[in-house]
Amino acid sequence: MTTRALHGGAWKQYGVIAAFAVAYLALGLLVRNSYYQLIMTLVLIWATMGLSWNMLSGYSGMISFGQAAFFGLGGYTMTIAFVKFGVTPWIGIPLGVLVGVIAAVIIGIPTFRLRGHYFALSMLAYPLAMLYVFEWMGYQEVSLPMKRENPHAYAQFADPRSYMALAMVLLVAAMIVSLHVERSRFGRSLLAIKQNEPAAEAAGIDAPRQKMYAIMLSAAIAAAAGGLYANVLLVVTPQTMFGMLVSAQALIVSLFGGVGIFWGPVIGAAVLVPLAEILHGELGHIVPGIQGVVYGLAIIVIILLAPEGIYWKLRDRLAPVRRPPSIPRVAAAPAVAAKPPGDAKPVLTLDRVTHAFGGLKAVDDASLLVKAGAIHGIIGPNGAGKTTLFNVINGFLTPATGSIRFEGAELVGRKPHQICRQGIGRTFQVVRAFPRMTVLENVITGAYAGTATDAEAEELALAALTRVGLADEQAYAIAGGLTTKQLRLMELARALAPRPRLLLLDETLAGLGHDALDEILQIIRQVNREGVTIVIIEHTMQAMVKLADEFSVLDHGRLIASGPPAEVVRNRAVIEAYLGKKWMDRVADPVT
Amino acid sequence: MLQIRSLSVAYGGLHALSEVSLDVEQGEFVTVVGPNGAGKSTLFKTISGTVAPVSGEITYKGKSLLAVPPGERAQHGIAHVPEGRQVFASMTVMENLEMGAYTRNGRARWHELLPMIFALFPVLQERREQLAGTLSGGEQQMLAIGRGLASAPELLMLDEPSMGLAPTVVDAIFERIHQIHREHGITILLVEQRVAEALESCDRGYVLETGRVVMQGTHNELMADPRVKRAYLGI
Amino acid sequence: MDAVKWFLIDFLQAFAAGLLVGGTYGLMCVGLGIIFGVMRVVNFAHGDFMMLGMYIAFYLVTGFGILAFMGPYAGPIVGAILAGPIVFVIGWLLHRYLIARVTGVRVVTAEAEGHYAQIILTLGVSLILQNGGLILFGSVPISVQTPLSRESWELGPVFLNQARTVSFVIAVAFALALYFFLGRVRLGKALRAAADNPIAAAYVGVDVDRSHRLAFGLGVGITAIAGGLIASSQSFQPYIGFDFVVVMFAGVILGGLGSILGAFWGGLTIGLVQQMSTLILPYQLQNTAIFVVFLLIIFFWPRGMFGRTWERA
Repeated sequence: MTTRALHGGAWKQYGVIAAFAVAYLALGLLVRNSYYQLIMTLVLIWATMGLSWNMLSGYSGMISFGQAAFFGLGGYTMTIAFVKFGVTPWIGIPLGVLVGVIAAVIIGIPTFRLRGHYFALSMLAYPLAMLYVFEWMGYQEVSLPMKRENPHAYAQFADPRSYMALAMVLLVAAMIVSLHVERSRFGRSLLAIKQNEPAAEAAGIDAPRQKMYAIMLSAAIAAAAGGLYANVLLVVTPQTMFGMLVSAQALIVSLFGGVGIFWGPVIGAAVLVPLAEILHGELGHIVPGIQGVVYGLAIIVIILLAPEGIYWKLRDRLAPVRRPPSIPRVAAAPAVAAKPPGDAKPVLTLDRVTHAFGGLKAVDDASLLVKAGAIHGIIGPNGAGKTTLFNVINGFLTPATGSIRFEGAELVGRKPHQICRQGIGRTFQVVRAFPRMTVLENVITGAYAGTATDAEAEELALAALTRVGLADEQAYAIAGGLTTKQLRLMELARALAPRPRLLLLDETLAGLGHDALDEILQIIRQVNREGVTIVIIEHTMQAMVKLADEFSVLDHGRLIASGPPAEVVRNRAVIEAYLGKKWMDRVADPVT
Repeated sequence: MLQIRSLSVAYGGLHALSEVSLDVEQGEFVTVVGPNGAGKSTLFKTISGTVAPVSGEITYKGKSLLAVPPGERAQHGIAHVPEGRQVFASMTVMENLEMGAYTRNGRARWHELLPMIFALFPVLQERREQLAGTLSGGEQQMLAIGRGLASAPELLMLDEPSMGLAPTVVDAIFERIHQIHREHGITILLVEQRVAEALESCDRGYVLETGRVVMQGTHNELMADPRVKRAYLGI
Repeated sequence: MDAVKWFLIDFLQAFAAGLLVGGTYGLMCVGLGIIFGVMRVVNFAHGDFMMLGMYIAFYLVTGFGILAFMGPYAGPIVGAILAGPIVFVIGWLLHRYLIARVTGVRVVTAEAEGHYAQIILTLGVSLILQNGGLILFGSVPISVQTPLSRESWELGPVFLNQARTVSFVIAVAFALALYFFLGRVRLGKALRAAADNPIAAAYVGVDVDRSHRLAFGLGVGITAIAGGLIASSQSFQPYIGFDFVVVMFAGVILGGLGSILGAFWGGLTIGLVQQMSTLILPYQLQNTAIFVVFLLIIFFWPRGMFGRTWERA
């Protein structure tokens, strides 16, 4: 499947969208009752809101309860422009979009520094604060004036179905934007951030920037929906524009219909909005809160039974995950001749690096030299600080003292994605794959750094996959069915995709059985022979002893020995670190 | 007292333990040593119920332990002193010990156990109103052991008590553990990375490596055997 | 000089009002604090359980007049207190059949992503409670009538509204009772242990799942009592829960996530902020002041007053 194929599918989707739009509007033409016409319009508006939520929360995983902030700002901008300044909604709505985007930037800068429930709670607070402010400003209820002469210039129409058409235009625009985002590297980057933000950053993705784009786009869509909503209803109140139900509906239609796919909110809105509105219409006078109850029940049922939404549940049922064919055994390579000791220059140097968590020194005055083209092992007992060391090299942690130089350039102070672009790749212990995407699509996120076009990125990804032995049909297999060994290889490919000159491997071999271990060792050696310097953290000593040219031993954050494996393993300090002081004292000659 | 037969545990395709068998007789002090990643903690967690095995059997005092839900295993007389101590940091030393006595037996024998714990670890008595989170690493380890003892256990299991502690502190801790065994006759299963400290007081030991038992023997046999080193350092 | 004196009196009045209101807010926050502290669950629906408490108190006193025999002074108080056990049972059942499905020991030990399902579920519960309340109780604002709400005691230049003062006393009494329960009673200590370190708690034989259920019931029950107390000082309708949710979260975070009793101090502070903000802001922006404080806390002081300074191992 070439790049053309990746994007070729877009035409098919356009077709479906067009068909949907035409069919929907045709249905609208058949409906005579103006109340049902209104419902049909509302479905489209809430679907659009759902897409706005999806853009921020569905794709990048930052759960937002605050879409109402942008919705309300869009609606009120349009309304105030109209009521106070006589500006037509045709201009007012885009103006609202602008306001929404500015608000998104203002909100995003501080709020993105928060995580998890802190983020969700603060997103909750913004629209509520705005609600109170607007109430206080005296905008309890604002009606948009009816323009009898020249209504079309003010986006007012006699036939309610015109509003439906307008809403459809907005929805289709939002759907197309979402479609493109999903298939673009922007969308893939967001997914990568959602899946494992540190891994995404280590692969060269500038996470804060991408998240900012996401919230801006999300706000634009929500503000447009808000402006249109106000235009349709002709009455705005703080409650209907900033209220909790707005944010909740945006979230619920997406969750219900399908998270992370642009059809999701459309399905969700198409099912829930008519249901709620009709029930409200029929029973509203007996059971006045019926809408809220419907949405509440919907969300509970969906979160228990199909947490990712109906779309995915159906798709998984109809197109079950295919298990990829197993990788043919790699033929045993001839024994690797010992590399001639060269005057290999150091490619990575750590100089007296210290990092402390609170009072505890996780890395204590560590100095280390990695020669170009070497396989350098980092070992040490549990809790010695090995992963912390990697995190410091990678840029996730800033050392308190010391310097780290890669090919002569100072790394300290640079962000992880910048370090990736300098030529350092890294694997992570916990491999989080996108289970519904192909191996290639999983790996391609690693190739974005430094490539201009998607075609280039795809080439790099395929090349990396070939290097690890996951070429041809394996590359297009769905990642959900991979074995542990294949997952490790995929992770390795992802790190190799941007063609790093230095590769940091974090426990790539942990827990593998004998055969899998040998295969991966061979692949690592092969990659090394192709010129990639490797630094590897491992516990399994047996494998490391065979693999590494040099070891450095960490204990309690300090580097206690460095050198060829045979020497290091006989070093008294090392034996003591592993087996304990008493062993040294008791056993007659520990250094045998 | 405790019999493990062909225990296999896997996490998502990774074999943490493969066909591990071991025995602990009443009154014995048994040690399990091995390098990182050997599966020692997994073994522990399987016995205390945090992790479920793929296959194999654990029998305690003649009855299957796997049938007992994890929260109830403490009531059966098994005390677990976990890796990393896991004290209740926001509660005082005294409250931690009281929580240790949450079981029926613990409550019944509280009045004789508390003095015993304080005799073993005088520093706990000194600091009994202090918040556990403010104790030093060694003191927290003593607290964790004391908490284990407070449940009036028949089997005391300790998971890497030396982790993160300075060598002199480790010595002190192991002395106490030895004392517990010697003076109070409690059966002990100790899992440890530091070989000599662990083997020093034990009656018998097992060596784990990548999820398998690669050696077993008495105290004397293991102390002298150079193959133990190979299990750790590969050479 | 007079202006200073009047300002001082205003200040004291606002301070006193803030303290009185804060006591009740404190109790409210403690309820949320228990749930968050023990279960690490962000209970979106917490304000709506408070609303339930208010309506239960109302129906006990006025609606069905069950407590009418107690007279207009004692009735509302007893009604507020009785709302507690009733909502406790409701919460207990809700946890058993619904909430336990997306929470539990495995969620507590998971990272932030694990919270996604439970916060959404409680959102659903919130919508149902609010709108169910609308259906059952109607939208007309009501309050629990008590002559105390119209009377004030004088303490120097400051007027202390009697209803609020009584509520304060009872709120503090319950907070103290809870303090005693958590500190001295075995079951309470088990709750603290489960909040502190669920793994170790399981090892010592605490049934962590049952602790969660108890914590949930206790948490919503206590907040319901606070609601019942507030019910005699202000009018309410089924959506009132939402007005208070941010108050509660602000209080809990200010007090320090994970500290059950810190939540009381956090709530007290929020009450003070709310009342004292009227010295400089218009009355309608009271709640906006709380939001601003809330956002400031989240950004600059997320650990709060008594937050854990050590991470759960």
